Amino acid sequence: MAIQPPSDGLITENAQQYFQGSQGFRGDAGNNTGQSFTTTFDTDLYLGDWNPTGVDYGLNNFKIYTSPTAIPGTWSEWVTAFTVTNGKTVTLTAAPGANQYIVVQLNILTGGKYASTEAEKAYGQATENNYGSYQYTKLNDVINNFLVAYVGAGKLIPSVKRTDVIFHAKRAMQEFSYDTLKSIKSAELSIPSSLTLVLPQDYVNYVKCSWVDRLGVLHPIYPANNLTMSPYYTQAQDSAGIPTQDSYGNDIETESKTQDRWHTANTNWINGFFNSNDFTNDMWAYNADMFGFWGGRLGQQYGIDPQYHQVNGWFNLNEREGKISFSSDLANKLIILEYVSDGLASDLDTKVPKLAEEAMYSYIIHAVISTRINQPEYVVQRLRREKSAKLRNAKIRLSNIKLDEIVQVMRGKSKWIK
Amino acid sequence: MAINVNQVYSTVLTILNKEQRGYITPDEFNKISTQSQLEIFEQYFEDLNQQLRVPQADVDYSDRIENIDERIAIFKTFGNATYDNTTTPTNPFWNLPAIDSYGNTILYSGVEPTNPPFPSTTVSFYRLGTITYNYLGIPTEIQRLQRSDYYQIQKSPLTKATNSFPNYLYENNKLYISPSTIVSAGDITVDFVRKPRNVVWGYSLGQVGQYIYDPATSQNFELSESEQTALIIKILLYAGVVIKDPQLIQVAAAEEQATEINQKS
Repeated sequence: MAIQPPSDGLITENAQQYFQGSQGFRGDAGNNTGQSFTTTFDTDLYLGDWNPTGVDYGLNNFKIYTSPTAIPGTWSEWVTAFTVTNGKTVTLTAAPGANQYIVVQLNILTGGKYASTEAEKAYGQATENNYGSYQYTKLNDVINNFLVAYVGAGKLIPSVKRTDVIFHAKRAMQEFSYDTLKSIKSAELSIPSSLTLVLPQDYVNYVKCSWVDRLGVLHPIYPANNLTMSPYYTQAQDSAGIPTQDSYGNDIETESKTQDRWHTANTNWINGFFNSNDFTNDMWAYNADMFGFWGGRLGQQYGIDPQYHQVNGWFNLNEREGKISFSSDLANKLIILEYVSDGLASDLDTKVPKLAEEAMYSYIIHAVISTRINQPEYVVQRLRREKSAKLRNAKIRLSNIKLDEIVQVMRGKSKWIK
Repeated sequence: MAINVNQVYSTVLTILNKEQRGYITPDEFNKISTQSQLEIFEQYFEDLNQQLRVPQADVDYSDRIENIDERIAIFKTFGNATYDNTTTPTNPFWNLPAIDSYGNTILYSGVEPTNPPFPSTTVSFYRLGTITYNYLGIPTEIQRLQRSDYYQIQKSPLTKATNSFPNYLYENNKLYISPSTIVSAGDITVDFVRKPRNVVWGYSLGQVGQYIYDPATSQNFELSESEQTALIIKILLYAGVVIKDPQLIQVAAAEEQATEINQKS
């Protein structure tokens, strides 16, 4: 059940605002022009252009609907001029009609329930972006809270440059993103026949890469490690092996032959898998050793290295081109790339789970005090230990260790291993 | 919230005239009073800094930080800065407010308020306080930086100014605010402390040439009433110099010192 504000709690949206992303108003009886309505969404309204034919109309994260009766089917989108002030207040330039019902609908995946036509629907994710937001605190709020609670006369930090706090808070956000916060970033991608994909814009490091079968089950793809790599430089060479340059004096780069061979390789020659449907090719794989040399592997796969003896395929990172490259058996497959970002890529990212909020304060105060001159070392050490302990607590909390779930896993302990 | 100028002048004259020590004219008194008022006023900021480093008693009327702040609060005011993107070569910048939120015209660069009327509708700018940016309807404090920091901080993607955390430089009575997207009129509010108005003991001449106090042409002391005794002692100290009475100077200085020690111990 939703909590209905006003209350003294932290929740300020009512159920309609939270679940449907809409808020209703009533126009005045005098049908005046310039009527203003102040929304109380957690989400700020963003207005690119009120005019549906305008280039920036698509940037709007909401739509306005009016109706004389509020009966379903009578609503129509407000497509005459209006302005938005402070991300909250909508002012209609024209008169909407006496006692008109007015609704501000944040964009939502379903398009909302007020539009009469498909074109009028408020498609987008502004409402969904706010779902579950109560588990987070915004990074800006963390910075403000820190300045209020930890900085001032008579406190451990009498004064501090706000930019210092911002810096340490953002660094904390980055560090926490790497190994403390839940890894929530993932991209569902189809591997093209070129077998390379551009890394996501906010990619910092991968967590896991899997291909998806017809049941939606994930099959982990492993890093190619020592099998292959994408070379950083692929200079063209002359017959003496000297890199050649163009007329501007720059090295001539060529396509990587290593990549080319890797992308055309039959991976069964590496993993030893015998595909009975492709006997012609895989007969050789079956009889070759893992690096493609003829040696007769029939019945001799006992000692194969497990990291190569799998059929899910491999990926490797092309650091120079900022791409991820896949083995040939993954062509046209659907994959999910789970990765970590640094938590600062966009506004939506800059949020701290409440379970880690205290750890972040401790990180910041330690960072501020330890970089300040003439601080007693025992204070620095105390703060370091506090930071460490709270970080550990945050990790445990975010690990989501639940007794029931452990019990369920442990029920399998008495199974016979066959 | 002011100290009556006539009451102070009367008290000073009473103490001065005891044992026929001497007399100061209204003009001398006005000058000495203005000087004394400014001296006490400027001391507030030093005292506040000093008291901020001392643990305070969280009891009504005895918290020295609050007491000092209460005395300064009389002079606190604020107004909207104005954006200027036309004046070369330093544009764009923000000018400090021309009118404060109480309707007073603000004077800069040492220009003194004019009177009449009493009290004057002009005030002199004294010290810059907090500057805020109205971001999405919420006042956001803008951080003041030195020029070297201003450049360095802009270079770092983590610390560069944003609408949520803007920065500014304060040079030549101008504000250089970053990010440069902040341009809307009325969005920048400048809090500042104004200078106390010059003290005027206004008078008219009587039939025998005597000075008759005229409240309509007088400007009272603007300091808190709690400063009355300190003010009189300070005026007496300067009056002792005027009438060349070392004993008066000595007594006033000793009294002032004793009060100071008591207030800060």
